[in-house]
Amino acid sequence: MNSERCAACKYLRRRCPSDCIFAPYFPSNNPQRFACVHKIYGASNVGKMLQQLPTHKRVQAANSLYYEAQCRIQDPVYGCVGIISLLLQQIHNAENQLAKTQAEIAVLSNSHTQDSQFQQNFLLQQGNVGQSSSPSTQPSSWFK
Amino acid sequence: MGEGSGGSGGGGGSSSSCGSGPCGACKFLRRKCVPGCIFAPYFDSEQGAAHFAAVHKVFGASNVSKLLLHIPVHKRLDAVVTICYEAQARLRDPVYGCVAHIFALQQQVVNLQAELSYLQAHLATLELPSPPPPPPPPPTMVTPPPLSIADLPSASSVPATYDLSSLFDPLIQPSWAMQQRQMDPRQFGGSPGSTSVTGGGGDLQSLARELLHRHGSPPQGSMPCTGSLSSPSSSK
Repeated sequence: MNSERCAACKYLRRRCPSDCIFAPYFPSNNPQRFACVHKIYGASNVGKMLQQLPTHKRVQAANSLYYEAQCRIQDPVYGCVGIISLLLQQIHNAENQLAKTQAEIAVLSNSHTQDSQFQQNFLLQQGNVGQSSSPSTQPSSWFK
Repeated sequence: MGEGSGGSGGGGGSSSSCGSGPCGACKFLRRKCVPGCIFAPYFDSEQGAAHFAAVHKVFGASNVSKLLLHIPVHKRLDAVVTICYEAQARLRDPVYGCVAHIFALQQQVVNLQAELSYLQAHLATLELPSPPPPPPPPPTMVTPPPLSIADLPSASSVPATYDLSSLFDPLIQPSWAMQQRQMDPRQFGGSPGSTSVTGGGGDLQSLARELLHRHGSPPQGSMPCTGSLSSPSSSK
């Protein structure tokens, strides 16, 4: 028998056996954690759910139950679905932003491509003309 | 009591007192369905029993009853939908329940934001007057460290008002294809038979569609916010 009861057994006001299913996941220094889970699921249901899982998965199960219970206590109507709704909205906004940014990049990329093609054509033409033109029309003089 | 028309059989009446038999919850519990049964408007005698079975197994009838009693009547339908969803998700994935779905969505948000940052940086270089440098190599899709529950948003960060029917808006649905490509379910450590990423959202949609439809609130398309589903008042 544990010298100190786990949070669950303290809450339930009972002895904490050495093989208490709750003890590893509801330590006595965090009573609120079990209180939360108990309020939503009940001790019996939590115990059964943990019992049905292999030992190495129980920590995550207890954590996820606590998370869901917290969500439900803070938002009794929507619980975790509220979080899901929020995340879906964030995804929607991010995808819209992505699409908009990709469109802007496409426009600018096309614009740059057209500019460089125009410059190349122009320089080529000037190169042909410059062979028989006066020095003042040399491209180098335009940039002074 | 008696809110929500068209729940179980019987015109307008939603409790069993109209002689339509016990509600799905009382049928499952094998008890007399009394007038004013809190479950009757939401668990009809046909498919309601199956939904209630999941709810009972995960939450327990007594806990759900107490929960519903503390919720305003006009919000109870939404509460039942979400409770049913969480219960079914938990049965399907006993380790993570619907948190697996939340993990997946959170991961998708992170990935999208990374992609957006990269593209915005690229856009900034294109907008410079000088010839743009070669674009930086795309960010390597390094698998980020697995999320932990501590990384997830808390309910306190969620605005108090939203509309379940918005879950049916196709514009708001995530790109499940992108999500599937980038997600590695193994990082959740769930069982192989755990809720798939696509299953999470699809289940909530179909469940909400079924329950809301039975109550005369067809969710097709982007329905306008109705008083019964999306009252702007806080649910608390």
